[in-house]
Parts: sequence; structure tokens; C-alpha cells
Amino acid sequence: MDSFLDQVEACVPALRRYARALTRNLDLADDLVQDCLERAISRRGLFRPSGPVRAWLFTILLNLHRNGLRAARHQASTVDLDSIAEPATPAPQPGHLALAEMARAIDALPLEQKEALLLVALEGLPYAEAAAILKIPQGTLMSRLGRARAALRLATGTPAEPHLRTVK
Amino acid sequence: MTEITRDMLMAYADGQLEADQRLLVEAHLAANPEAAAEVALLQRQSDAIRTLFAPAGAEPVPTRLRPTRIAADLRRQQRRQWGWAAAAVMLLSLGLGIGFAARPLFDPPASATLIADAVNAHTVYVAESRHAVEVGSADSEHLSTWLSNRLDTHLGMPDLAGEGFALVGGRLLPGEPDKGGRAAQLMYEDADKQRITVYVTAALPDARPAYQLANYQGAEAFYWANARITCTVVGTLAPERMQAVSRAVYTQLSEGDVTAAPPYRG
Repeated sequence: MDSFLDQVEACVPALRRYARALTRNLDLADDLVQDCLERAISRRGLFRPSGPVRAWLFTILLNLHRNGLRAARHQASTVDLDSIAEPATPAPQPGHLALAEMARAIDALPLEQKEALLLVALEGLPYAEAAAILKIPQGTLMSRLGRARAALRLATGTPAEPHLRTVK
Repeated sequence: MTEITRDMLMAYADGQLEADQRLLVEAHLAANPEAAAEVALLQRQSDAIRTLFAPAGAEPVPTRLRPTRIAADLRRQQRRQWGWAAAAVMLLSLGLGIGFAARPLFDPPASATLIADAVNAHTVYVAESRHAVEVGSADSEHLSTWLSNRLDTHLGMPDLAGEGFALVGGRLLPGEPDKGGRAAQLMYEDADKQRITVYVTAALPDARPAYQLANYQGAEAFYWANARITCTVVGTLAPERMQAVSRAVYTQLSEGDVTAAPPYRG
């Protein structure tokens, strides 16, 4: 009956997942999503751009998250270690990325890199949409992704990247 | 052949390439084990990220995050807010209405303000011996002209010799902005050095005649207003003398042009 609400509803699982990865805290994440949904629903028609609902919702969520961080900058940050999933099959083989180590490495990323990386790697969004959500050019997005990936590689102890040759 | 950049490898690992470019990268990877290892590493990173966080997206959504529920809550809230807003507007208009209707009750009448000003000026200047007035009685013609010009109405100096009072002089005073902004004070003195003052302003906007007797801060004040001026006689004399002096001032000033008329004698 209300196609806008249906579209929003379809995005809720993704928003929760993304918020959880950003905040690493179930309650904080759901609060963030609820806040985001309330704003979106109360402002539809007023501020909603013509584009897809999903990108708009992610933009709102990210702004709320940044505002919250700004407000809490001077408070000690708490990381809920329980929210880190244990690897289903901890098989220590060469090249295997220990998940807990990976989680810590992601936490340590600068926010702008973390935001970008999670949009692409976790949500699987096209570069263009991720760039639109973050309001940055696609080139900037890709350089953030590259730096995030390199930082993860370093932090998770993977051997230095292989030298890349250019093929003509 | 197209140059395969690191960005292209990353885009390939992220599944962002179009079919033709994907084929190019795959050909490159087949011939370059190092590049293939790089892509595999990126993909493992993405896999790890999804393993860590994807399960959160599969959890049942709590009721508080259901858009239909949020929309309903917001509608309820909005109705309440409109209710409050309507109530506030009604109260405000009610208050404004009452306030406006009751305005004359709260606004002090012009006479009260003028009497207070006259008594204050009286108290301040009768206490002065050397600087009681700005222009002395020796220059009474100039005093009359000057004050008349300032008040924008003709002001003669009442002659109170019949009541035993002689003119000391006069001065110009600031007055209430909405009541002409200026006032003239004339001072008289009797043989015992008792002083009275006469406080004159231009007529009030309504120019209605009015009379009032008041005792304000220990001084007696007789106030009247007509179409030309308002006048307040202030003193601390005995009631009979106060009345006699006030009557004399009133008679002379309300007769109009006192300088043209023969001086009033008791």
C-alpha cells in the first residue's frame, strides 16, 4: 500500500548489518538504524532526493553515525568484544585471515576508509553508488578502498604485496 | 593491450567490472601469478568482512525497526504535537485578547506619570539654593518666550504675589517621550523661603480636560489638563495655602494668554 515504506523495509537488514559493523555494538547499531528510519520516514517528500531509497538511507545513517562520534569524541570508546564472531572453522593455514585479527584491523581504520570499505566489501554496493552515498568522487572512493585494503593487509600480517608489473 | 592497474585488480576482486574488462583482467591473472595472488588476497579480505558482519543482516528485525510501526508512531506524535500547537495558539490568543482588553487597567494613566515627574522635579530643585532655576525671574520675559518656544505653546508666568509667592525662575526639563518629551518647571518662593513649583507640559494627545489632586511622596500635587497644556502644582504647604495657590495658577494659566491679560490679583 505504501511503496515508500516497503522500500525502506527492504533496506533495514542491510542498514542493521552495516551499522553493526561500524559501531561493533548491537544496541548502538539498532539505535542508529532506528534514528535513521525515523528521520527518513518523517522527512519523506521533504528532503528525499529522486534517487534510490537505499543510497539516501545509507547517507542518513552515516551522517548520524558521524554526528554521534563527534558528540562522543571525548568519551572513552568501548568495543564490545562479544560482537566479534568467532571463525566457524579456525583452520590456521597459510594465507588464512584470522577473523578476530581482521575485526580489530577494521576497527583501527580511519573512519572514512572504514565507511567506504564496508559499503563495498560488506554491502557489495557498486562503486558509483558507494561514492554517491559518501558524496565523494569515485576516484576518491577507490583510493580510500586501496588504502583500507593495504592497512588490513599490514595489520593482519599477510606478506607484503607482490610487486605488480604492468602488462603491455 | 589495456594496462591493468591496481585499481582494476581491486575492481575485479570487488566484482565491479563489466564483462569485457573482466575478461581482460582474467587473461592477465592467468599469466601473472603475483597479480592472481593479490586478487585472491583482496577477495579473502572481503570474505572475512562478510563472515564477520553479514550474519547481522539475517537476524530477525526487532519491532522498533519496522518502518510501518515507526510511521504510525510518528503520525501519533505529530497529532499530539499539532494538538499542543493548537492549544498553545489558543492560549496565546486568549492571553493577547485579555491583555489588550485590559490594557487601560495596567497602563498607568498619563496624569499619574506626569504627577510623579512633577513631584520628582520639585523635590530635586527646591533643595537647590544657588542653582534652583536655569533662568531667573529678573529675565522673566525671556523665560516666558524660551519656555513657550520649547513647549510649543504659549506659557505666561502666573503672578502669585496675591498668595505671597514671588517667581524665582524656571527651567526646561526632559519629559516623557510620548507626552511631548519636554516640561517646564517654574519655581516660586514666599517670604519664609517656602517653595512651590509649577510643572507644565504641552497638551496630551487626547487633549481632554482633567483634574486630579494627589499626595505623592510627601508632596501635595494639583494636576489639571486642558486642550493646550497639562499643569501640576507641587508643594508642601498647608492644605488651605496649597489650594489657594493652585487655584491662582489654574485660573491664570487656563485663562489663556496671561501676559496679554491684566495680571490676576487674588
